[in-house]
Amino acid sequence: MTPKTLSRRTVLHGAGATIALPLLDVMSSTRLLSAAESGANTPLRMTFCYVPNGAHMPDWTPKQEGSKYDLTPTLQRLADHKEHFNVLTGLTLDGARAHGDGGGDHARSVAAFLTGAHPKKTNGADIKNGISVDQATAQEVGDATRFASLELGLEASAQAGNCDSGYSCAYASNMSWRGPTNPMSKETDPTALFDRLFAGKTVKETKRAKSAREKYRKSVLDFALEDAKRLHNQLPEVDKRKLDEYLYSVRDVEKRLNGVERLRMTEDGVPDFPRPSGVPKGLKDHSELMMDMITLAMQTDSTRIISFMFTNAGSNRSYPEIDVSEGHHELSHHGKSEHKQAQIAKINRYHVDRFAYLLSRLRQVHEGSGTLLDNSMIIYGSGISDGDRHNHDDLPIILAGSGGGRIKPGRHIRYKNGTPLCNLYLWMMQQMGAKAKTFGDSNAVLDKLG
Amino acid sequence: MTIHAIPSTQMPLIVLAESLPGRVECRSGTEREGEAPAEPGFLVHQGLSRDSLLLRSPAPRIAQLLLMKTFRLGPILTILVSVLLAGTARADQAIDEATYRDALLPLLRTYCFDCHGSDAEISLENDASATAIQKNRKRWTQALTMVRLKSMPPEDGDPMDDATRQRLGDLIENLANAVDCVRNPNAGKVALRRLNRNEYRNTIADLTGVDYLPAEGFPGDDVGYGFDNIGDVLSLPPILMEKYLDAAEYIVGKAIYTPPPPEIYDIERAPNSLTGAKKYGGGSRLTMASSGTVSLEAEVPFATLYTLTLHASGDQAGDEPVKVEVKSGRVKKIIEVPSEKPADYQVDFRFGRGKQKIDISFINDYYVPNKADRNFHLHHVKLTGTESKINYVNDDDLPASHRRIIFVTPSEKIPADRATAEVIGRFASRAFRRPATNGEVARLTELAARVRKDGGSYEEGIQVAMQAVLVSPHFIFKVEQPRTADASGAMPPVSDYELATRISYFLWSSMPDDELLLMAHRGQLRERAKLLEKVGRMLIDRRSNQFVENFASQWLQLRNLDLVKPDQRVFRSYNEQIRDLMRRETLTFFAAVMRENRPVTDLLDADFTYLNEPLAKFYGIRGVSGDQFRRVSLAGTARGGLLTHASVLTVTSNPTRTSPVKRGKWVLDNLLNTPPPPAPANVPELERGKLQGTLRERMEQHRKDPACAACHKMMDPIGFALENFDAVGLWRSRDGSDDIDPRGTFPDGTVFNGVDDLRRLLASERRDQFTRCLAEKMLIYAIGRGTEYYDKCAIDKILDDVKKQNYRFAYLIAAIIESDPFQKQGFRE
Repeated sequence: MTPKTLSRRTVLHGAGATIALPLLDVMSSTRLLSAAESGANTPLRMTFCYVPNGAHMPDWTPKQEGSKYDLTPTLQRLADHKEHFNVLTGLTLDGARAHGDGGGDHARSVAAFLTGAHPKKTNGADIKNGISVDQATAQEVGDATRFASLELGLEASAQAGNCDSGYSCAYASNMSWRGPTNPMSKETDPTALFDRLFAGKTVKETKRAKSAREKYRKSVLDFALEDAKRLHNQLPEVDKRKLDEYLYSVRDVEKRLNGVERLRMTEDGVPDFPRPSGVPKGLKDHSELMMDMITLAMQTDSTRIISFMFTNAGSNRSYPEIDVSEGHHELSHHGKSEHKQAQIAKINRYHVDRFAYLLSRLRQVHEGSGTLLDNSMIIYGSGISDGDRHNHDDLPIILAGSGGGRIKPGRHIRYKNGTPLCNLYLWMMQQMGAKAKTFGDSNAVLDKLG
Repeated sequence: MTIHAIPSTQMPLIVLAESLPGRVECRSGTEREGEAPAEPGFLVHQGLSRDSLLLRSPAPRIAQLLLMKTFRLGPILTILVSVLLAGTARADQAIDEATYRDALLPLLRTYCFDCHGSDAEISLENDASATAIQKNRKRWTQALTMVRLKSMPPEDGDPMDDATRQRLGDLIENLANAVDCVRNPNAGKVALRRLNRNEYRNTIADLTGVDYLPAEGFPGDDVGYGFDNIGDVLSLPPILMEKYLDAAEYIVGKAIYTPPPPEIYDIERAPNSLTGAKKYGGGSRLTMASSGTVSLEAEVPFATLYTLTLHASGDQAGDEPVKVEVKSGRVKKIIEVPSEKPADYQVDFRFGRGKQKIDISFINDYYVPNKADRNFHLHHVKLTGTESKINYVNDDDLPASHRRIIFVTPSEKIPADRATAEVIGRFASRAFRRPATNGEVARLTELAARVRKDGGSYEEGIQVAMQAVLVSPHFIFKVEQPRTADASGAMPPVSDYELATRISYFLWSSMPDDELLLMAHRGQLRERAKLLEKVGRMLIDRRSNQFVENFASQWLQLRNLDLVKPDQRVFRSYNEQIRDLMRRETLTFFAAVMRENRPVTDLLDADFTYLNEPLAKFYGIRGVSGDQFRRVSLAGTARGGLLTHASVLTVTSNPTRTSPVKRGKWVLDNLLNTPPPPAPANVPELERGKLQGTLRERMEQHRKDPACAACHKMMDPIGFALENFDAVGLWRSRDGSDDIDPRGTFPDGTVFNGVDDLRRLLASERRDQFTRCLAEKMLIYAIGRGTEYYDKCAIDKILDDVKKQNYRFAYLIAAIIESDPFQKQGFRE
């Protein structure tokens, strides 16, 4: 050990019990997490934030293009960050269109949002969607971190009833899909997320030795794997699919168990952040706590790929905290009613405020010569444009962060209407190091970003 | 718990209450006496007392009653018929094509193709043969619904008389859903189902006695066909596997007591944080150029032997190495630091609990200017100690689950491996809901042996083997062995154990109890009398609260109540407590109809409900005092039946107003099983500016558009009949300044006026449709897959069975359990 290099643990202790975020710069070179191992200096991250029911577009789309544009009433809420994001206009999600399947735009728009696929209309049997951009990327480059990706949100999966016009709730509640038949459930509890990221890794003076139960985790998983393999041969195709999911998940968890040892997370400890207690009641507090967790996860390089759903598709929740007592979905069918449009815009601003909070948090974390936000690509948007028309072109999309210098932010970029949203995803995947040549319905790599 | 004496011989059956003189009331919780700590019923999940779900008297005779069944073709006759019909498939197809060409096509030309021609968005013309219709079954089923509801053809087209309508409907049905109920209709195949959250928690409770609350935090189970137990939709992402692994670890730790491992005290300090370090300046290492002392002060948590590790180096000079004295209290030790490179140096101290101070002193400074300089560098300090404790376990302190699961311990006569095999063999058999195989037991025993070999105890070995059981696919999934039809083409039955599992997850959302497993073992589950008797007892058992909670609250969409959020500034008497009570009213009511074996139509038109004081006050019903829910007569009031429950009326409303459309749609979806097709895109909802008059008048104007009218003339009138109830279900005669007009007309011309009429219509003229709807929803829930056209035969039969028994609830359950889709395994088409 050279005298100038400290383990993070030493630093934490040296500074006493409280080290506030952000971490000291001196530590970046000793981050034992994979950044150093993979040889890259600063990792690049991507995050996808989804909001339901489209937006009130007249309040969203800037009139001018380029860097000298005026913020619209909704985007005004991001004024502090104007130099750190681009507004992308004209992007389109063709997979969310009906294509003869009739109603169900909301479920479709979530299912397609990150996949670009046209989901098969079914209430359950033979669910089929596409693979989502976060998962496709994670499968190629996710090995670098403890969690290949995280899937987060504020609302658990729907509890009863039909979610949308003959579409299973699996479509309406999940935007991350590991494969065409495998939705990735989201974590909505910040406490559980914190524990998942950091349990047993906080720095305490006293801790318990490992119990036998803990020590043999890997043997337990091996046993399960063996069981599953034996079973696999006996089952018909429809059951095999389910067991494949099981096998994949066991292997994934196993990799993570090994990873803990490899990455020496217990030695490194975690940034000092109080463990959340439970799920806060209001959307504001809940979302902000989740965004703190997103920041922590990226800061500790626990993952580089995150998806985050504010609500499930077609959410009809009301927002009494901002005096919107009607349901969001109900309002979004505004029929040009000025009252309803005003309410929609209000909800849009409320969501954008939460996004502004995330950007602030990411900007507070210094990394190398910039901030965490500088080294990120953060998408915010919806798979529906106008809630009344249910159209899936000219979507409201923001791309925040400089992507480690790959993006020139601070602009409103207008693309030809109809340009596949997947062109943007393809570009992002390539920046992350994935070798993809196409993604979803992409027909080119999106230009004008750099 | 109040149980009025019921002779145990009369206990087992759910029965027709009027066959007993005087009803006996008992309360839940009775069935599980002497069993493992009970898992909480649905009322407990909601923070309510488990004693409050009312049960009604069981009485004898149900076995006989349930046994009276339709005459069935004897086996010989069945074979004869199938032989006669064998090989006629091609002939059937030819007949179908002729039917299409000669009978259906002319009707379609006259009534449908004008709008649904070959280039229409919804084209009927493109399916130009019987085969094409069968392929596009879904669309034609929709068309059938529209025709039967008289929504199509639209009013402005050629009028269609009732006979023609009947004929058109029958033709479409026969062609689109052609399925031969005599020749082995497909029994269907459920995709490998994992336990959902509720099932997991209940199963763990029944298996280990541990109530694993964190299961609530598992990722939400996705819903398909309205329910969260559908094999196709239940996925298993890595995050869930991770949680299963955590859960297994926690659960076996609770179920089996093993002494906790010792605590480890472990601190590390940067040297500049030590007491007295200030004068040596900053930087990451501390350098003493002349003799001096720094101290480590620590509050140690227990008495034991501690090890101090100094990461240190020295600038060497003179004739001896750098020497450091480490001292605490009266104990002191000298260590030599002979290297210029940092290395670890360790000293042990025995400390009592409390504040300790260790002085670290550089004691042999040596300095010759410009020639020699001996210095001491301290890079890092670490202090560790492991708690030493004696683990004595008093047998009386062991949890009940521990003694139940570990019923054998090794002794001189019983080697550890044999004891392990017995314990884990029983545990795995219960967990896998079938006898564990020798191979499985051997592997588990081996795993436990490995733990013991590494120094673990017998119990710790069992724990680890139990963990393996709890993450095994045989536990997580309801595994059913694949089967193929025999030469006759008859669908093969699932095994007895698989049947036991299907039954218990249907009625209890949990694993089979020992009795059910024993019945499976003895092959008694296919003996009708024994099966029905057991099913009757299962319905009375408190565990069937889970059926009420999981089936009824999803069927009626009560789970969505939490999402509705009525505006409390408008609906001042509404709050979250009332919301929970509303839901409880409906579930308790449903449980009563089930447990008293009442006709299922009582769900629609019963003249009683269950209330407590706060909820009665909310409704404005007098004479109910106390928090206990009790049966309350509604005779002479406008209320009675599900349609008038505040829970249902609230969940179908918007936050600030009622929604006749949502209410109408709810009735069509959930009570009549005729879901209206989704609204076409780009249809604006009600808009205040352009439309005039009351809500009803505005909706009527809105409906002028024929594209909207087809569906809305089904939904809206039903919703209007319920307009006397506001958005939280309270009675009103005016909506703002407008009078309520609750009259309505079904598309077939049936006129009704208000909720009384609507309720009566549904429970009488539409009785079979309602029962069929309930049967189909319940079948979906029971078999964990959506129903397909070939399930029609089974549903027809279930409906027949139930009708013969005056629509009584328990017979519906029995008929579903006896149906082919439940008893057999078919295949995917």
